[in-house]
This record gives sequence, C-alpha cells and structure tokens, in this order.
Amino acid sequence: MPTRDKDARKRRDEARAARAAKAKSAPKKKKAPQAPKAPERPVAKVAEPPGKRTASARNPLFPIGVNYYPLEAETQSWDDWYDRDVASEFAAMAEARMSLVRIFISWKLFEPQVGQYSDDAEDRLSGIMDAARDNKLQLIVTFFADDRLAELLEVPWGKKRDARTDQYLLQRETSLIQRIVNKYRSDPVVFAWDLGNEAFLSGFKTQPQLEAWVDTMREAVREVDPDRPILFSVDPETMFRHTGVDPRDAIDKGEIAVSHATAAYRAYASEGPVISGPSTYVDGFLLHSAARDLPVLMDDIGMLSLDHSVAEESAHVRTVLYTGLMNRASGVLLRRFCDLDTERREPYFRDPFEVLVGLVDVDGEDKPVMNEVETFARVAAWVDFKEYTLVPERTAVLIPGERYEPLPNLAGLYDPRACLEAYMFAKEAQLPVSVAREEDEFGAFSVLVVPSAFNLTDETWERLASFVQSGGALIYSYGGGEAHPAVRDLFGVEFLGDGGAVDSLTCRVAQQDVLGTLEPFDSTLSLPHFALLGHGGGTVVATDAKGNPLLVANQHGQGRAVFIATPVERALAQGDPWAAPAEVKAMMQTVYGAVASAAGCGAQIECDIPEVEVALFNGEGDDIVLLLNHSPEAVTANLVFERAVASISDVRGGTPSQIGAVGLGVALEPNGAASLRIVYA
Amino acid sequence: MTGRSQQVALAEGLARQGHIQPAVEACYQALRIDDADPLVHCLLAHLMLEGDFYDEAIEAATRAIEIDPDCSPAYLALGLAYDRRGGMWDQSILVWHELAEVVPDLVTAHVQLGEAFSAAAFDEEAIDAWRKALELDPHKARAMYNLAIAALRKEGVATALPGFRKAGELDPSQDDFFFALAGIKDDGNPAPDPEDVEEDRESRLEAAGALAFEEDFFSAAEVIRWIFDEDHDDADALALSAYLYIKQEAINEAMACALRALSINKRTRTAIYCLGVTFSKRPGLNEHAARVFGALAKSSPDEPIPHVLHAEALLGLQKFSRAETAYQTAIRLDPACVRARFGLAAVFFTEGRHAEAMWEIRRAAYHDTRRQGLFWDLYDAYTEGSA
Repeated sequence: MPTRDKDARKRRDEARAARAAKAKSAPKKKKAPQAPKAPERPVAKVAEPPGKRTASARNPLFPIGVNYYPLEAETQSWDDWYDRDVASEFAAMAEARMSLVRIFISWKLFEPQVGQYSDDAEDRLSGIMDAARDNKLQLIVTFFADDRLAELLEVPWGKKRDARTDQYLLQRETSLIQRIVNKYRSDPVVFAWDLGNEAFLSGFKTQPQLEAWVDTMREAVREVDPDRPILFSVDPETMFRHTGVDPRDAIDKGEIAVSHATAAYRAYASEGPVISGPSTYVDGFLLHSAARDLPVLMDDIGMLSLDHSVAEESAHVRTVLYTGLMNRASGVLLRRFCDLDTERREPYFRDPFEVLVGLVDVDGEDKPVMNEVETFARVAAWVDFKEYTLVPERTAVLIPGERYEPLPNLAGLYDPRACLEAYMFAKEAQLPVSVAREEDEFGAFSVLVVPSAFNLTDETWERLASFVQSGGALIYSYGGGEAHPAVRDLFGVEFLGDGGAVDSLTCRVAQQDVLGTLEPFDSTLSLPHFALLGHGGGTVVATDAKGNPLLVANQHGQGRAVFIATPVERALAQGDPWAAPAEVKAMMQTVYGAVASAAGCGAQIECDIPEVEVALFNGEGDDIVLLLNHSPEAVTANLVFERAVASISDVRGGTPSQIGAVGLGVALEPNGAASLRIVYA
Repeated sequence: MTGRSQQVALAEGLARQGHIQPAVEACYQALRIDDADPLVHCLLAHLMLEGDFYDEAIEAATRAIEIDPDCSPAYLALGLAYDRRGGMWDQSILVWHELAEVVPDLVTAHVQLGEAFSAAAFDEEAIDAWRKALELDPHKARAMYNLAIAALRKEGVATALPGFRKAGELDPSQDDFFFALAGIKDDGNPAPDPEDVEEDRESRLEAAGALAFEEDFFSAAEVIRWIFDEDHDDADALALSAYLYIKQEAINEAMACALRALSINKRTRTAIYCLGVTFSKRPGLNEHAARVFGALAKSSPDEPIPHVLHAEALLGLQKFSRAETAYQTAIRLDPACVRARFGLAAVFFTEGRHAEAMWEIRRAAYHDTRRQGLFWDLYDAYTEGSA
C-alpha cells in the first residue's frame, strides 16, 4: 500500500500485529483505565431474583457499531479498498463490544468495465464477511456512498453521467446490487442493506428523482432478498436543511430510519460548545424527529473537527451515546473506526478528509473515546429491552408545516431552532418528550408544544382544538403577525394586535400555582413580537410590567390550552442560547413541566438539576434509571421518586445500597452518566 | 450599475430598519426583476447574517461576488458568515485577505483575518494581522485582546496580563461604568464651558464630570480645583480627580486621591473603582485589586464591568476558577461583553479547554462585529462608488 510516511505505516502495522496477537493469546482484554468496574456476573442477589440478571457482552437489541471506511490514509489509492488487515481491526471492534460495522462498496472497483466484475473485489468483500463472522459482527453494506476519498462511484466507463438519474447507470447499479445481495442474501452476517449514504444522496435535486431512485434500488434488493432490512442513510431533517429535498417519503420505503447530526446542521441549529447547552440536545432532537414509526439508527457519532481536546471528544461521544440509549434509538454507529492518516503538505494541514476522526489513531492505538464506547457498551448490555420498557413520550414538540416552506419565507429557518429550544426546555423539565410534525396524528400524545410558530393551517387549528377538547393539553407561544381566529376560543384571549419588538421580558405572577410555581422577574431579552391580548375568558397567570397578559391558561372542553404571548423559544434560540437568562428558562421549564404534570405525563422522577436528563425504564420487579449530565460541570442530582426506594445499585451490578426513602442524590461528573437499578420498597 | 431599483430601495429601507422578513421578501421580488444585481444579493447576505443563517448568507454573498468581484459589503458578509459558522477557516482567510486588499483601511478585516489564521493554527500570520490592525487603529481593543491571548498561549499568564490590561484600557465600557457610577450620562448636550459654570458645588461637579466624559481633562481639572478651593474634603471631587489622574497615567496621584476620598466617605463608589484601577495597574497589588473590585461587584451586582474587573484581578492572581465564575457572571449580565468573553477564553486556555476558549473568542467577534454595523458603511461606499 502506498504511503509517503513509511514510519507511520510501519508503526501502525506493528501495533495491529501486536494487538491481533494479544487478542488471540488473551481473549479477554485488560480493563480500560477509565472504565468503571464492570461485573462479569449478575447483580447482587439481595435485591433481585436469583439467576435473572445476566448480560451478554453485547445488547442484541441495541447494537453498537462503527463506520469502517475503505481507505485509512489520504495517500492511498482507490484500488486499496479494504486492502488491509481487516480481521485484526474487526477483532478490536469485537473486543470493544461492538456488534455492527458499516462497510462501503466500491462500484469503481467491483465493475471496472461494463458488466465485468472484479474477482479481486469480490474476494476482498468475502474476506470482510469472513472476518465479521469470525468476530461475531454484523455488517451494514452500503452500496452507493461518497466518502470523498476512495472514488467509490467513479466508474471510468460512466463518462461523468449522474449516477442518480441516468437510466443506463441505474441499470448497472441494480445489477451490482443484485450481484452482491444474491451472494449474501441468506448470510446472517449481513444486518441490513444500505442503499446510499448522505453524501451521495444529498446530490439529488428533487424529491421525485430521489424517490424514483430509491424505488428502483429497493426493488432490486427485494427481488433477491425479500427479508433483510433496507435502509437509506439520510436524516430527514438534516437532508432537507442541506438540499431542500424532503426525503421522508423515501425513508418510509425502508425498514430502518437514520438520524445524523451533520456538522452543517450543528452549525445551523446549535453553533457553540459541543459539551453544553443546545449542542448536547441536537442528537436527541434529530433522533425523535427521524422516528417515523421505524426503528432509528443513530449514525455518525463522533467529533466533526480536530478543534477539540480528547477529553471534550470523549465527553461529546458519551453524551450522544447515552442520548441514543435514553431516547429510543435502535442502535448507534460511531463516525469512524480509524483516524485518517492525512498527507502532510503546505500550506494547509486541514482538509475535509482530515476532519473524520476515529476511535483509534493512525498508529492503531486506542484513543480515550474507545474506552467511552466500551464502557457504554457494558452498560447498554445490561439494559434488556425485553424486560425493561422506556416510559412512553406523551409530550411532543410540534414542528410546523411552514418549516418546509422555501425562502423567502423565513419560518423554515427559524422554526427548527425554536423547536430544538422547546425540546430542550421539555428535557430540562425532565419530561419524556418526542417530536411530531404538523401533519402527524396527535392521538399518541397528551401534551403538544407549538413553539413560536408563525402560521399553522386552518386544518391544524381545528385538529388542535379537537385535541384539547378531548382532554389534551396545548402550549402555544405566539410567533408574530395576525393570530388565527381559533385562538380566541381555544385560549380564551382576545387578540388585539402585535405589540412589536421589545428588549426586555418582565414576568409578574397574577395566579400562582396555576402553571407551577412561577417566580417574578425582569430580564433583558430581545423579543421580536409581543401579542397584545384582551380578556376572553382565559385565566391570566402572568403579565408583563404593563399588565399585558404574558401567560394565559384556558380550560377548553376536557383539556387545557396555554398561550404564551411572545415567541420565547425563538428569541432564546436566536440570541445566545449559551447565555440565555436563567429566569426566562426557568419560567419555560416550569410551564412545560406543570402542564405536562396536570395532563398526567409529567416527570416520572423529579430532579433538581435541569441539565440532568433522566430516563426511566420500567421493569417488573425493578426499574432502571439512566442519568445524563448535559453540563460540563460536576453536579449532584437530587432525585425524588413516586415510591420509596428500597435499594439502588449500578445497573452492571455491585452491592446494592439501601435507601429506604423517596429521595436520593447521585453525583455526576462533568458530562457524566449514571445507570442505576432501582428496587422499590 | 444603473442605480438602485425601487424594489432594491425598498429592500434596503426595510433591512436598515431591521425588518428581516419583509426585507427578504422585497429582495426576492427584486431578484425576480433582475437576478444579477449584486446589491440585492449582498443585502440578502446581510439579512441572512442578521438571522444567523450562515449557509444562506454564504450562498448570497458568494453570488454577489460572482456578479461583481469588487462588491466589498459582500466580502464582509461572506467573511463574517464563514467565521460565525465555524469550521471554514481556510475559506475565511481568503475572504478577509481579499477584503483587506479591496478596503485596506478596514481594521476589522485584519482582526478577523488574524482570528481566522489563529483558528487554522497559523499563529505567526495571525499575530502579523493583529499588529497590522493596531497600526491602522491603535485603539482596536479586540486586536489587543487577541495579541494578549496569543501571548498567553505562547508564554503563559504573566506575559499576557499587561496585554489584557492594555486592551481593557482601550475598551470604552470601563469608562462608561465609571460615569454610570458618577451619575453622568450622555444626554446629547455638550459639556459647558468652565467659565459658564454656576458657582455652586453641584453645578461644578456636574460640569467637571461632563468635561471628563468628553475627555477634556484639563478643563475638568480646572473646575474641580474650584470645588477644592471651597472644600478640599469633597469625596466625589476627589474621586473624579483620581479618575483624571488615571487617564493621564499618574497612578500614584490617582491612588492618593482615591484613598483620601474613601477616608472621607468610604461609600464613594467612584473612589472604590479608581482605587481598584490603580491597584490593578501596579504589579504586586493584584490581591488588593481583587478585594476592591470584589467589593465593587457586590455593590453593583447587576453591572457586568465590576465582575470583569474582579475577574481580571483574579486572573492576575492565577485564581482561575474564581476568575471563571466572575467572568461567567459578567457574560450572564451582558452576553455581548467582549472583554469578559476574551477573559473567559484566557481562563479556558490556561485550563486546557481550547475548544471552549475558541468559542468565547468567536462569540466576542460575533458581538463586536454586530455592534460595529460595518456592513452599511461598506454598502453606502459601494453604492456611491458604483453610481
């Protein structure tokens, strides 16, 4: 294999050889230095039925995997496709308790001439399959991907025609798919067939083109393999944001959905430190947003640039991994196994390829983030989804349909940020929360949050009125412009007009405890609109300094609707979310929490630290509680349960601590996580 | 170019008033009439930047530059969009380099170029760019802060501290704080001529403050002298004298005046401020400065500057954790406080939290460039030059 840095290659190969030898001689890897003590046997029998608590090395219902790219050095050529010691790297993945690997087919290598397939390429693929089988790994095979390095799609005979739309190339693509699928259709080593990655699929210009391509390729797979899941590696939200093409209907044609927080999406939605504030909620938000009645695989977890320290990288990866487990992901895929060995050249050392950062360095040595993955895998292995069920999300943040409007309508740009902010408030109120879209059915939810929307359709207003009438709760913050006529009946307010922009927000509590325990405040916050409201029958819970209603609650039918007179979520998202006024955030958390509690879907476990996310998995004899600290500061989270807790233990085992109370404190490291098994008195 | 069409003028008017949504709609209408008008594209870029929609701003600014490579406001919008978006430092360097050539006296272009160089790990080039900025404008606080940060990263806190102090002195917010304590605010009226000031103590003190506010220090000193002729134990006048001495780098005299003022009335907050400043200017007196500014921060809990001053004194004492808390308080009170952002960045660098430090510097640049409103200067110059 060519490389200009012979020493690096030599070091890497030596390290790999040593690791492979070590793996052979000692099947059990020495414990990672940062990994907490992990049990090899069931949890103490004092608290649990004997013989019940066992965990395999991996959780079969929550696979952890990694993207395994064809080239590992920038100096390599396209025909070096997986031309390396795959077995030793797969052994390292297995040792870290991973169970899933995504590989990328090189069309260029497989079909060097029209209709002539390379035996060498097929042998290499066969070798990869064997290595995966030997290490008890499963593969996601991606057919059409652009990794910006290995020229995977650049068939020399393609004459630069577009592989997405050219009919002749489409025929060749289906042939390639069927050739590979046919060979491995009954092989359990294949977990799923992936039609394309986001870099390739984002090249589609229109939705019909995309859907036609997906139909064709899906059909090609299904003709040969009727059973294996098919996926389509794009996140519906991020792809729409980047390309303007809505892939949701295409995604629905697959069996697995994917969520993927891209660098560009992060820059748009939550540009800022990756280990605090909204950045730490983006992955969860996209995960819920991608869930379209399909299991969702969280893809591309990892750092997006080399700007961060290894500690920050570990903290970020830990946060995202736990976010996945706590928010119903069906599996996780790390960004890259091995760092790309980049070419050293002047004047720039950085380029798009270099920003792909891996779990092991160019010398093949584990990076600290690998320990994070291994530690997480040990925890995940003990959360048995057959036995424990995550509390259902009955609160949803509603993404308005205007989000899909093109420019010059700015709602499409403002709304996702406001929705992310609302999602964060709900999480900070410790609510199990999901994301819904305007056209979705609302029946699965008890509380809907419509944050700072400019417009909803007439039909949506009717559906919202009916939702509240039949017992649902609605939190709506005014987004500007004319209010819909339905507002009057639903919220019990008389809309008198838009008072325009204000530079401060004042809260004077008129009715305490109607929407939780609100604190009065005067805060500096730039708000783009403020609805002037007259009395219409609703209860004015809080006003601004001049007595204009700020929060109005109204009983409508069997449900309750809350009107917030100003687009707080949008204002906070458009300002500096990392320096948002604490009192304003507290007001929103209180309102969200109180409305959800009254609707019977409030926090299952109270926690005094908003930045600590809580997930409760209900079991028969005991529960599992996962805690995730979204803050880079160490905290002690004081939890209050609905019932007295007899004992707690680490989910992985250890001696249970006797509690005998409804409350307990859990110390969490910066961006730390805790996994507790709770036995009630 | 044939001047602005009605639609462009409408878009421009709306954009100047900050009505983003209607201005964007007007831009799109103007593009329907002429999609090759660089003014509309650069207006659109500016509007997208105002909404923090960086990808859209990049697209619009790039289009404006494609149409007219001399469109300086589009370069500004493009460079700012790259920087605020992050992760596009190589493109950013090219843009700022280009803008520095198109508008050589645009100080901000050099400051931004330096920050882009620094983010891309070209430290020497970054320092050169900031020095160039200071050559053009010796009062450019952000260039000085950046140089101080560069010194901190290279040689540690001790070397960087004088730079921070110097940058702090360039920052007008500290003086604004003193005048806020003294109850002097800009009411739009010029300070009176000393000869016209009425002969009572209140009028003289007010006039001296107004003259000091306008940086007419000698006239201010003359008026204060008249107060001392009547009562040499006037604490407020002594505190104002201390301020005037500080502005003239007469630190010992300033310290003496401030101490005298406090011996007369220990609640004179302007004197507390001046005493803190004099302590902070003397090497070895950081502990005293920290105590004084700590007291000042307690007495003015809702003002960001005392917290910043307190933090800077703590930084000098290498009490990084406490400095971080004080800086964070200042940023909570004023997220646009450039000085606090840079200070916090310094703390983060000393703690090895590089990504967070770089983020604070980027936020400082964000707020500083928003405050400057440079776009409209360049836009007006561009439209005049093209007409």
